[in-house]
Amino acid sequence: MLALAIAFGVLARRGRAMGESRLAFWAGWTAVGLVWQSLDWPIGPLAAGYLASAHAVQFLTLALAAPPLLLLAVRKPLAAAVPTAGRGHAVAMFLTQPIIAGVLFNLITITTHVPSVVDRFMPSQLGAFAIDALWFAGGLVLWWPLVVGAPQRAWFSPPVRMLYLFMATLVHTGIAMVMLISRFPMYGIYELAPPWEVWSPLEDQHLAGGVMELAGAAIIFGILTVMFFRWSGGVAGDNAPKAPPRD
Amino acid sequence: MSRLSPHPLLAAALCILACAAPAPRHGVSLEPPIPRPTFTLTDTRGKAYDFARETRGRLTFLFFGYTNCPDVCPVHVSNVAAVLHKLSFEDQQRSAFVFVTVDPARDSLPAVRAWLDHFDKTFVGLRGDAALVDSLMGTLGLPPAIRAAPTEPNGWYEVGHAAPVIVFTADDVARVMYPFGTRQLDWAEDIPRLLKVGR
Repeated sequence: MLALAIAFGVLARRGRAMGESRLAFWAGWTAVGLVWQSLDWPIGPLAAGYLASAHAVQFLTLALAAPPLLLLAVRKPLAAAVPTAGRGHAVAMFLTQPIIAGVLFNLITITTHVPSVVDRFMPSQLGAFAIDALWFAGGLVLWWPLVVGAPQRAWFSPPVRMLYLFMATLVHTGIAMVMLISRFPMYGIYELAPPWEVWSPLEDQHLAGGVMELAGAAIIFGILTVMFFRWSGGVAGDNAPKAPPRD
Repeated sequence: MSRLSPHPLLAAALCILACAAPAPRHGVSLEPPIPRPTFTLTDTRGKAYDFARETRGRLTFLFFGYTNCPDVCPVHVSNVAAVLHKLSFEDQQRSAFVFVTVDPARDSLPAVRAWLDHFDKTFVGLRGDAALVDSLMGTLGLPPAIRAAPTEPNGWYEVGHAAPVIVFTADDVARVMYPFGTRQLDWAEDIPRLLKVGR
């Protein structure tokens, strides 16, 4: 966590020097705070072995909410660091290819929600950390083409970007739906955890599915709405009648 | 007019195949099987409960635990309860869950009743002398409970005890027991099978 904060601090200062806005700077620090809050007490320990709903909150924070805010503050230094030629450029082109990014994010999302994987990894600190780190890394990969956008791709227009974001986040909605309709708890680690007086493991799982579904949709559709109005505003601006030149 | 009349042996073999209940897929097999024990303890209404007579012919889940148990007992009991609640009314009527406290010093009858009511109001709670409960556990092949000295200023202590749920089928025999860690999905798969045994 400290390493992330230091690395972000260095890059964010560079971003400010390169003209990044104060709002983006503070959005980035908010993301660092979100990551810290989702890994620390109470969400971290609860997610590690007690509540699937806390685990769902962690997923949303680490994969969907924090990465775009973080990248927003450091997109200029990151874009400047991407090689513009040679093998490095080819590697960057491949890794930030939206299709690759989308597939990678969904592979991580699916794998880290398979019950046998969760039950095997979550009981150990290292395993739980690996899942958290994968979510965060997957989130950075997912959001990179949208927020950093380097290397640039001519075909990755605003409508395609919106389609990319919508398609890339469909899988987690499906997982949430399975959690919502399941008749039995899917994850042994939460089913066999010391009892939580407030709700049963199955109710907790339904809550987790609901959180993933609703909060996830709120994040994605909120961002899609912003993207849409920015794009439609730009299109309207381009089509607006030009004022006649003054004599 | 000829009528199909199967050979009596073939008919018997087919009947055995058709009537054979599917074996449970989870739990630990008991070899040899344990016959339904005969014992009488006090239930939460304060009346004598003759286990063999009250549960005869019913699918019976017998569990030894204590109400101050921090994790294993409530999780194990709630998992069985969650699956029993999903059974049909008829199958629920053919099932019984019996809880015997291994900590009679702290588990009063009202305390046992209140604890069981968290899971199911029809679950039976029994209480008896600690030595009697230990010997009963012995007849079922379980080690006696270990009641530790109080570790907390308020007198709280843990009780070490074997925590399988022993399942007696309608033929009054237990062939399988389920240790802690049995998932609801496991119960959901096995209970319908166990309900068919001995019918």
